[in-house]
Amino acid sequence: MAEVIIRQLTKSFGENTVVKSVSLKVADGEFLVLLGPSGCGKSTILRLIAGLEEATSGEILINGKIVNFVSPVNRNAAFVFQNYALYPHMSVRKNIAFPLATAGMPKPAIDEAVQDAARILELSDLLERLPSQLSGGQRQRVALARAIVRKPAVFLMDEPLSNLDAQLRQQTRLELMDLHRRLGITTIYVTHDQIEAMTMGQRIAILKDGELQQVAPPLEAYDQPANIFVARFMGAPPMNLIPVSVSGSEPTWSATTQGGSIDFDLKSVGITQAAIGAHMSESLQIGIRPEHLSLGAVGTGLSGKVRFIEPTGSDTFVTVQVGEKNVVVRCGVNETAKIGESVGLAVNPAKMHLFSADGWNLRTK
Amino acid sequence: MTTTSATPEWAQLTMSPDECARERSRFRRHALKPIIGFLGPFLFLWTLFLAVPMGWATWLSFNEGGLVSDAKFVGFKNWTTFLNNDELRTAIKNTSVYVVVAITVVFGLGLILAALLNNNKKSQNFFKVALYFPLLIPPIMAGMIFFFLTHYDMGVINLLLQTAGQDRVNFLGANPNALMTIAGLEVWRGLGFWVLFYLAGLQSVPTDLIDAGKIDGARNTRRFLRISLPTLRPLMLFALVIALIFNFQLFDSVQALTKGGPTLGTTSIVWFIYKQLFTFQQSGVAYATSLALLLLVVALTIFAYGFLGHRKDGLK
Amino acid sequence: MKVLADGDGQDLIALERRSSSLRSAKSAASYAVLVLFTIISVGPALYIISPAFRDSKSLFSYPPQWLPSEFFLGNFQFLLTQTNYVRWAMNTLIFATGVTLIALVIDTLAGYAFARMQFPLKKTLFGLILATLMVPTAAVLAPTYLLVRFLDDWTFGLVGIDTFPGLILPMTVSPLGVFMMRQFIETLPPGLYEAARIDGASEWRIFTRIVLPLMKPAIVVLGIFVFMLQWANLLWPLVATTKDETRVLTVGISTLQGQFVTNWGVIAAATLMTLVPITVVFLFFQKWFVQASVAGALKQ
Repeated sequence: MAEVIIRQLTKSFGENTVVKSVSLKVADGEFLVLLGPSGCGKSTILRLIAGLEEATSGEILINGKIVNFVSPVNRNAAFVFQNYALYPHMSVRKNIAFPLATAGMPKPAIDEAVQDAARILELSDLLERLPSQLSGGQRQRVALARAIVRKPAVFLMDEPLSNLDAQLRQQTRLELMDLHRRLGITTIYVTHDQIEAMTMGQRIAILKDGELQQVAPPLEAYDQPANIFVARFMGAPPMNLIPVSVSGSEPTWSATTQGGSIDFDLKSVGITQAAIGAHMSESLQIGIRPEHLSLGAVGTGLSGKVRFIEPTGSDTFVTVQVGEKNVVVRCGVNETAKIGESVGLAVNPAKMHLFSADGWNLRTK
Repeated sequence: MTTTSATPEWAQLTMSPDECARERSRFRRHALKPIIGFLGPFLFLWTLFLAVPMGWATWLSFNEGGLVSDAKFVGFKNWTTFLNNDELRTAIKNTSVYVVVAITVVFGLGLILAALLNNNKKSQNFFKVALYFPLLIPPIMAGMIFFFLTHYDMGVINLLLQTAGQDRVNFLGANPNALMTIAGLEVWRGLGFWVLFYLAGLQSVPTDLIDAGKIDGARNTRRFLRISLPTLRPLMLFALVIALIFNFQLFDSVQALTKGGPTLGTTSIVWFIYKQLFTFQQSGVAYATSLALLLLVVALTIFAYGFLGHRKDGLK
Repeated sequence: MKVLADGDGQDLIALERRSSSLRSAKSAASYAVLVLFTIISVGPALYIISPAFRDSKSLFSYPPQWLPSEFFLGNFQFLLTQTNYVRWAMNTLIFATGVTLIALVIDTLAGYAFARMQFPLKKTLFGLILATLMVPTAAVLAPTYLLVRFLDDWTFGLVGIDTFPGLILPMTVSPLGVFMMRQFIETLPPGLYEAARIDGASEWRIFTRIVLPLMKPAIVVLGIFVFMLQWANLLWPLVATTKDETRVLTVGISTLQGQFVTNWGVIAAATLMTLVPITVVFLFFQKWFVQASVAGALKQ
C-alpha cells in the first residue's frame, strides 16, 4: 500500500530532454493512467519510478520515502513489460517464483505464494509450461502473476495490452480492473490508447513532449480538456476546431466563423469576463465534439455542405464543410443527408469550448 | 492551466542539490562495484599478456640484449640493422610473394566453388563438410601430410608423374617451388573456410534481387557477376584484410616442410623472428621485426575499419 | 516462370526443353568440379593411412608401393613406447581445454559488462580493447616469452616456461571473444535484464540465471572456435615449452622430424592417430564447427 509522488521530475538523454519537470501525486490504491502519443515520455516516467533509469533531476517518493537512489527491488514496485519479458528458459512456475527465490524465501513459502498467484490469474494448469508454449494472453497473465507474487506496494504497467488482439485486449482490460479492485494496489498504467485510459483509469495524466498537460478523472478530461491537445487526443472522432472571431459584450457574445455565427453567454461556456477580455483580440478557436452538433435546416447555427457520410452501425458520422474547415457531426442512423447537400449545424453552446491562440481552454471549472 | 500554475506544496523539492549530488555519487559508486568482478579477469589478463608485451616490444626494439642479458639502450640501431638485414629482406619478399599467390588462388577458387555450391542445394551439406575438413588439421600436421604428397622420392605426386612417364618435380628442394608448395598447402587447408565464408555471403544476398534478375531473364553467370558479386564486394574487401593479416603470420608450414630453406627460399617474417630470437639470440632485431609486423597489422586493421561501414550493406 | 500463353505454347515448351538439357549438362559439370575438390580436400588426409601402416623401407621402395603389403603396426608401437605421444595428446587436451574454458569465462563476463553495465570510460576502454583485436600472437611472441620467463621468478614457478599456467594464460586473451559475446548479449531482449533487476536479482544472479542459460549457442560457437585455434597452435607452445611434460601434440610431432633421420612412417602414424578422434568429433558436431568458423570471421 503506497502513495507515489513525483516532484519536478526531469530526464534527459544527452541533449534530448524527454521528461520535463513533471509533478504528479498518485493516491494509495489509485489506478492512474499515463496517456499520450508515442515518444511523449510516459514510459520513461514509469521506468524512472521503477528505477530502471536514473532521474536527471527531481524527486520520486514511494510511501513517503525518496527513492531516487534506491535500487529497483527496494522500491517495492512491480513492473509489467509491454512484451512481458518472461524468462524464456524457465517454466511458468520458475518465472513466477524468480523474484521470491531471489529474495531467498524458503521453498515451501515460495510454492504456496506461486500457487496463490497462479490461482488468482488462472494459471494453475500451466505451471510446468515454457513461455513459448503459451498464448499471448496467457503470457500476459504470467507476467502479472510474477508481478503480484511479491505483494508489491506499486504496480507499474507499460502498455501491457498492446501486444494482444482487439478482442483479447478488451477481455484482459476487464480482468485487470477486476484484479485492481480485488488487490487494491496503487497502479500506474501507461498507454497510448485513449479508450483504455477512459475505461480503466480513476484519473488520467495526459502527456505531450515530456510535459504534463492535464491530470483529471476520465470524464473531466473529456468534458473539460485543458487545452487543444487534450481535446483532440481524447475522443474519436476528435473534437472539431473552428477558427472564430469573438465580439459582443455582456450579456450576449457571438463567435463568428466563415459559416455563420454562434451566440453564447459567458456563464454557460464557463468563461470569465476577464479571460475573454484578455484574449478577444487573438485568433481564437471554438471546439465542439461531434455529439454536441446536430444537423438542421439551412439557417440554423452554422451552415455548410455535406462532404462525407460514414455509417458505423450505431451512429452515422457526417462531415460538413464549414468555410474551409471540415466539421464532423454525430447523427442518429435514421437521419438522412445527401453528399453535396447544404445543411445547417445546430451547436449546443453549453458544450462549446473556446481555445486561446496558444491552445489553452479559456473555460474555468 | 496546470503547468503554468505555481508549484503546489507537495511538489516542492525537499533534497538540497548538495545532498542530492552526494546521494547520487554514493548510489553510482555502489552500482559500480560488480563491474570489477565482471571486467577484472579479462582486463587483468589483457593488460598482462597483450598490452604489456606490446609496450615492451616497443621499448625493447630500442635496446640490445634483454632476453638473457640486461637490456642496453641502443637507440635506432636495431632498426637500422633491421632495415639492412638481407635475410629479413628476403623474408619480407618471400612472405609478400606467398601472400599474393595464396590469397589470389584461395579467393578465386573459394568464390567459384561457393557459387557452384550455392546453385547446388541438394548435396550442399555434404560438400560443405568435405571442403571444410582440412581446416581441422593443424597446419603442422597438414605439413606432414603434404610431405607424403610432395616428397621427391616417396611423394604421391612424383610417384604418379613417374608412372605416367614424366619427370619428377622437386617440390621442396628447389626455389621457387618450395614457396609455391607452401602456398599450395595453405590454399588446401584454407579453401573450405573461404568457400563457407562466401557461401554465407552469397546466401545473404537479398532474394528479391536474385528474383528480379531471374524475371529480367539474366543467365546464371551473368546474374552472379552483375548482381551477387557487387553485393558481396564490401564483404570481400573486408575478408581480404583478414586474410592478409592471417597470412602475414606464415610460420607453421615452414616449420613442418622446409625450415626456411632451401637457402632462405621459404624464410617468412615470423620464421625470421623465431630464428633471431631462439637460434641466434638476436633479440633486438627480433623485437624490431615484431614491432614492424605489429605496425603492419595495425595499419591493415585501420584499413579494415575503413571498410566496416560498407560491410553492413553486404551482410545484413 | 511457367506461365505460358495459349498461342505460342509449343515454341516455349521446345525452348524450355532445350534450355533444361543445357541446364542439366551445366549442373553435371559443376557437380564434377565439386567432386574433384572434395577428393583434393579429403584425399591427402586419407592417403596418410597407407604410410602409417608401412615400415620405412617400403616407403622408399621401388617400384613404389601404394598400399601396405602387410599391416605393419611398428610405427604405432614405436609411437606409443618410444615417444611420449600419449603425454603430448593429454597435454594438448589440457592446453586447448584450459584456454577454451578460461577464455569462455573471462569473455562472457567482460562481454556482459560491455553489453549491459554502465560505467565511466566504457567506450574508451572498449575501443582500446578493439584496437588490439587483430594483434597476432607472432607479433608479441618475443615479449610474451620474456614476460612469462620473468613471471617464473615473480610467481615462484607457478606461471613460467614449461608450466601449464605459463602455456595457457597468454593464449586466453582474445578481444574477438569479448566482442562476439558482447554482440550476442546485446541481441537478447533488454526487457529480460530489466525484469530481473526489478525482481531483485543482482548482476551476478542476472548473469548466471538469465543471461548465461540463453547464451548457450554463442558459448558453443566461441568454445569450438577457441578450441580449434589452440589445438592447432604451434608457435606459442613451441616457444613456451622445452620438455615433454608440457609439450603438446603439434610441438611433439614436429620434434619427430629428426635433425638427421626422420622416420616418416612414425610421423604418418602420429598424424593419423591425431586426426581420427578430431574427425569423429567433427562429424558429430559439424554444424556447430561450420558455424563457429564462419562466425569468427563474419562477426568481427
